[in-house]
Amino acid sequence: MLALKLLWRNWRAGEVKILASALILAVAVVSCISIFTDRLEQALISQSHTFLGADRVIRSSQPIQDKWRLLAADYDMKTATTTQFASMVFRDDRMHLASVKAVSRGYPLLGQLKVSDVPFATDAELIKVAQGVPASGEVWADSRLLPLLGLKIGDQFTVGEKSLTLTRVIIDEPDRGSNFSAYGARVMMNEEDLAATQVIQPGSRIRYQWLLAADESVLESFLSQLEPQLSPHERIVDVESAQQGLAKTLDTAQKFLLLSAMIGVLLAGVAIAIAARRFAQRHVDQVALLKSLGASSGKVRKIYAVQLLVLGAIAAILGLAIGQGLQTLIASALASVFPVELSPASWSAYIPGLVTGVVCLLCFVAPPLWHLPVVPPIKILRRELEIGGVAFYWQATLGVLAMIVLVAIFSRDLWLSASIVGAMLVLMVLTALFAALLLRLGSQVGRKVGSVWRLALASLNRNAQQSVIQMMVFGLAIMLLLTLTSLRTTLIEDWQLQLPPETPNHFLLNVSPAEKDDVIELMQSQGLTSQYLFPMVRARLTHINGVEPSEEVKQRAEMLRREANLSWSESLNDDNKIIEGKWWDQWREPGVHGISVEAEAAQDLGVGLGDDLRFSVGGLMLEARIASIRTLKWDSMNPNFYFLMSPGALDDFSPTYLTSVFLSPENKIFVNRLLEQFPTIVVIEMDRVIAQIQSIVAQVSVGIELMLWLVLLGGFMVMWAAVSATMDERKQETALLRALGSPRKRLLGSLLIEFSLLGGLAGVMAVIGAEVLLLSIQYWVLDMPLQLHVALWVWGTLGAMVLIGALGVFSCRRVVTTPPGLILREVG
Amino acid sequence: MLNAQSLTKKVSTAAGELIILDEVSLQLQAGDSLAITGASGSGKSTLLGILAGLDEPTSGKISLHQHELTELGEEGRAKVRAAHVGFVFQSFQLLPGLTALENVMMPLELHGIDNAKGKAEFFLTRVGLNKRLDHYPQQLSGGEQQRVAIARAFASEPDVLFADEPTGNLDSATGAHVIELLFELNREQGTTLILVTHEQRLAQHCQQRISLEAGKVVERVCEQGVALSEVG
Ligand SMILES: Nc1ncnc2c1ncn2[C@@H]1O[C@H](COP(=O)(O)OP(=O)(O)OP(=O)(O)O)[C@@H](O)[C@H]1O
Ligand SMILES: [Mg+2]
Repeated sequence: MLALKLLWRNWRAGEVKILASALILAVAVVSCISIFTDRLEQALISQSHTFLGADRVIRSSQPIQDKWRLLAADYDMKTATTTQFASMVFRDDRMHLASVKAVSRGYPLLGQLKVSDVPFATDAELIKVAQGVPASGEVWADSRLLPLLGLKIGDQFTVGEKSLTLTRVIIDEPDRGSNFSAYGARVMMNEEDLAATQVIQPGSRIRYQWLLAADESVLESFLSQLEPQLSPHERIVDVESAQQGLAKTLDTAQKFLLLSAMIGVLLAGVAIAIAARRFAQRHVDQVALLKSLGASSGKVRKIYAVQLLVLGAIAAILGLAIGQGLQTLIASALASVFPVELSPASWSAYIPGLVTGVVCLLCFVAPPLWHLPVVPPIKILRRELEIGGVAFYWQATLGVLAMIVLVAIFSRDLWLSASIVGAMLVLMVLTALFAALLLRLGSQVGRKVGSVWRLALASLNRNAQQSVIQMMVFGLAIMLLLTLTSLRTTLIEDWQLQLPPETPNHFLLNVSPAEKDDVIELMQSQGLTSQYLFPMVRARLTHINGVEPSEEVKQRAEMLRREANLSWSESLNDDNKIIEGKWWDQWREPGVHGISVEAEAAQDLGVGLGDDLRFSVGGLMLEARIASIRTLKWDSMNPNFYFLMSPGALDDFSPTYLTSVFLSPENKIFVNRLLEQFPTIVVIEMDRVIAQIQSIVAQVSVGIELMLWLVLLGGFMVMWAAVSATMDERKQETALLRALGSPRKRLLGSLLIEFSLLGGLAGVMAVIGAEVLLLSIQYWVLDMPLQLHVALWVWGTLGAMVLIGALGVFSCRRVVTTPPGLILREVG
Repeated sequence: MLNAQSLTKKVSTAAGELIILDEVSLQLQAGDSLAITGASGSGKSTLLGILAGLDEPTSGKISLHQHELTELGEEGRAKVRAAHVGFVFQSFQLLPGLTALENVMMPLELHGIDNAKGKAEFFLTRVGLNKRLDHYPQQLSGGEQQRVAIARAFASEPDVLFADEPTGNLDSATGAHVIELLFELNREQGTTLILVTHEQRLAQHCQQRISLEAGKVVERVCEQGVALSEVG
C-alpha cells in the first residue's frame, strides 16, 4: 500500500515520468512490430497458399504411393492429386500440344478455380467459382483451345485414346504459376478418365502433385513422418520455395523492422537507464529518511521493488495497448487501399513486448537502483557522504547483455544481434575518446574567446565526465536515428525501383517470327507498349566439353533434365551482372559462338569460363563456349535466362519470341483479343503475383514509416533524459550565477552555445558512426549495393546542433527565467 | 533511558587515523533534555548519529530504552529507531515531491499506524500549519518547513527526539518560535530531547549541556539537581 502511494506521489512529482514513458515506448515498439509482422506473415502465407492451391505440395515424377495415402488417412488433413503432362489433343484434322492436368475430387484445396460457359469471358456475371472438378467424361479447357481446334462448348475432342466433352472454359486457375515451360493450352479432366486416355506410358514425362491442406501442426507432424520416405525425385513445395521474390522482399522487410525494433529498444533502454540513474540519485535522500524513521533495508527494498513492478506492469499494459492500437491503425489504413484481409495476430505475438518490459526492468532499471536499500542511515546527517552505486561499467555490461538477449529472442539470429551491438559499442568507445580529446582542446581555445563562449566552454569542461557521457548518448541516439532514416529511404526506394507501378505483368511466349510484327502492331493499336522482344529457342543441354554429363550431375542440375530456353542479346539487362568473364562487346573468340551462363546454373553444372556446351535444338546441334558468368535478380519479375548466346548464334534455329507487357485490370481483356487472333501464343499472367508483392511492399512501407516515428520518439526521449539528468546541478549553478548578477541573456547564450556544441560534436561522431553502420548493414545484412550518404553528413551534423541546442535551452529556460531565490530554495 | 559509555569514533583517512569522538559518556532520564554544543567539526553530529543508532561507534556502549544498540546490527537498530526515535534536521529533509501533510504522514504510514491522516493533521494544526496542509515544501518558508519537520517528528510519538541544529538555517525570531514548539511538545509528551546547537539561547533551555572540543567533552552542566554520573 505504502509503495503504491509512494509510486503515485513520485509520479505526481514527475520523478518517474521519463522512466515510465521510456518503458512504455520499449514495450510499444516491440509489440507493435511483432504483432504487425505476425499478422502480415499470416495474411501472406494464407494468401500465398492459394497460389499453391494447398498448404504444401509433394511434387514427384512418380505416382503418389499408396502407403503415403494410408499414412495421410491417419491425419486430419485434406488431400487431392493432380497429374500434369503434355499431350496432343485432336479434333478432326486439327491438333494441339496441350498441357493436360488430371485432377482428383477436392482440387483445389485452397484458392478458387474460376470457370465460365462463355469463352474469353471477362464479365464478372459470366464467371463462376467451380464447385468441384470436371465430371468423368467431361473436360474444361483454356479459352484459346477453342479457336485452336475450332471448338465450341459442348463439342467433343480426344485426349489420347479417349473422347471427352468440353463443358466449360477455365478463366483462372489458382496454381498455374509462372511456368515458362508449359506452352500448351490447359486441358483439365477428371482423374478417373486418365487410364482410358492411355497417354501415360513408361518413360513419359509426367509431374505428379499431391496437395495437402491442414493445420500447421498437423502438417508438420505428418511431413516429419513422410520426409524420410521421399526419394530425390520427390520434393516438398511450400510457399517460400514457391514464391522466392516475395520471400526476399518480406525477409528484407522483416530484417529492417527487426533492426528498428532493436534500435527502438536500445534507445528506450538508454533512456530508461539514464532516468533510473537520476531516480536513484534523487531517492538516496528519501531512502536515508525512511531509514532514519526506522525502515529496515528489507522494507526499503520491498517498497522500491513493488513500485518498480507496478510501474513495469502498467507500462507493459499501456505499451501493449499502444502497440496493438498502432498496428490496428496501419492495418485498417491499408485495408481501405488494398484488398488484403489481415487476420488477428496469434497470442504469441504479444510475448516479445512483455519479455521486453521484463528485461528492461531487470537490466536497465534494477541495476541503478540496486544500492538504494543499503544506503546507510547516517547519510541523513552527513550530507557529504558519497553513495557509491553499482559500478557504471557493470550497468553498461548488463545493458548490453540485455540488448543481445532481446534481439536474439526476436531474430533468433545471435550473430546479427551481437555484431550490431558490438559495432555500436566500438563506435561508442571511440566517440568517448574523441569527445574527451575535443573537450581538452576546447578548454584551451576557451581562454582566448569572448565571455559567453568562455562560460559555455567552462561549463562543458567543469563536468567533463558528464559532458563526455552526454555527448556519447546524444551521439548514439543521433547515429541510430540517422542510420534508420536513411536505411528506410534506400529500402523503400529500392523496392519501388524493383517493381515500379507499370512493371510488365504479362509475358507473351512462343510468338513466331511471322507473327512478331503483327503482335507489336496489335499492341500499339491498343495503346500498349511492349517491353523486350527476346528471341528464344528451346534446347536441351546434352554435352559438356564434348562428353555427356554423369548421372550425378544430372541429378543435381535441373536444366539437364528438361529443355532450357536459349536467347541472345546485344545488351545486358540492368538486373544482370557479369561476375566473371566478358560481355560480347569485349569478348573476341573467332570461330565459336559465345554463351553467358547464370552463376547458380554454372555451379550446378560444374562449368566455368572457357568450357564448351553442346545443345540439341530440335535435333540440330549448337556448340558454344562460356564467355561469362552472370548473376540475376529473379525478384525483378523481368524475363531472365539461364543461357544467353552471343548475337547471331541462333540465326539458323528459327527462334520464337518472348515479350512482356503491362496490362492494367481494364486492359486485361487484351489477352483474350490476342489469343483469339494468335492462339499459339502462351500468355503467362504475373499480375496477381506482382500485385501481391506491391501490396505487401506498400504495407511494409507504412509499417516501416510508423516504426521510424516510434524510434524517433525513442531518440528524443533519450536526449530529453540526458538533458534532464544534469538539471539538478545546472539549476543550482545557474541560479547562483544569476544571483551573482549574470544577465539572463548571457546565460541563455552560453546555454545555447554549450548545447549546440555538444550537439554538433555528437552530430559529427554520429554521422561517422552512421555511415559505417549503414555500409555494413547494407553489405552484410540487406545485401544491397554500397553507396555513401553525403547529404547525411551535412544535415546530420547541422540537425543535431539545432535540435540539441534547442532542447537544452528549452529544458533549462525555466531555470534561467524564474527568480534565482526560488530555485535556490527548491534545491535547498 | 539513554546511557552511553566511553563512546569513541575513529576513522582512517589518507592522513592516518582520525579520532572524531574520544571517550564520551552520558546518561539521560526520560523527559530530560540535553544540548550538545561545540565548534564546527568538533564531532557533534557524529555523536548525535551514534546516540540515535544511525551509526556505530568504534568502541563504547549505548543503551537506549533497554536496547543495547551496540549489540544490534543495522536491522535491529532500525527497529529501535522505528519504535522510539524521532528526528529534526538542520536542512529540513522534507521530501520535495510530497505535500506538508504527506510528509508528516510518511512515518505513520511506514509503521502502518491507523488514521495516519488524522494524526498528521492534528500535529500540523499543533504547529500552526493547518492552512498549509496541501502545500509543497518549496511553497513554504524555512521556518514553516522546520515546523512541518517537527510535526513529522512528533507525529510518531517518539520517546527520544534528536535534533541536529534545528534552528541553524532560521533567523532568530523564527528560530525562537521553533524552539518554543520543540520544548512545548517535549513537555506535553514527556519526550526526551537531544539537540545539537550553536545557539546559547537554545542550549539554555536544556537541563543538561555538554560542550565538545575535538571529540572530547570539555564542559558539562547539569541544572535543577538532575543527577549526572561522573565520568573519567
Ligand atoms: N566517516 C568519516 N570519515 C572521515 N571524516 C569524518 C567522518 N565522520 C566525520 N568526520 C569528520 O569528523 C569531524 C566531525 O564531524 P561532525 O560532523 O561530527 O562535526 P560537527 O561538530 O557536527 O560540525 P558542524 O558544526 O560543522 O556540523 C569533521 O571534521 C568531519 O569531517
Ligand atoms: Mg554537524
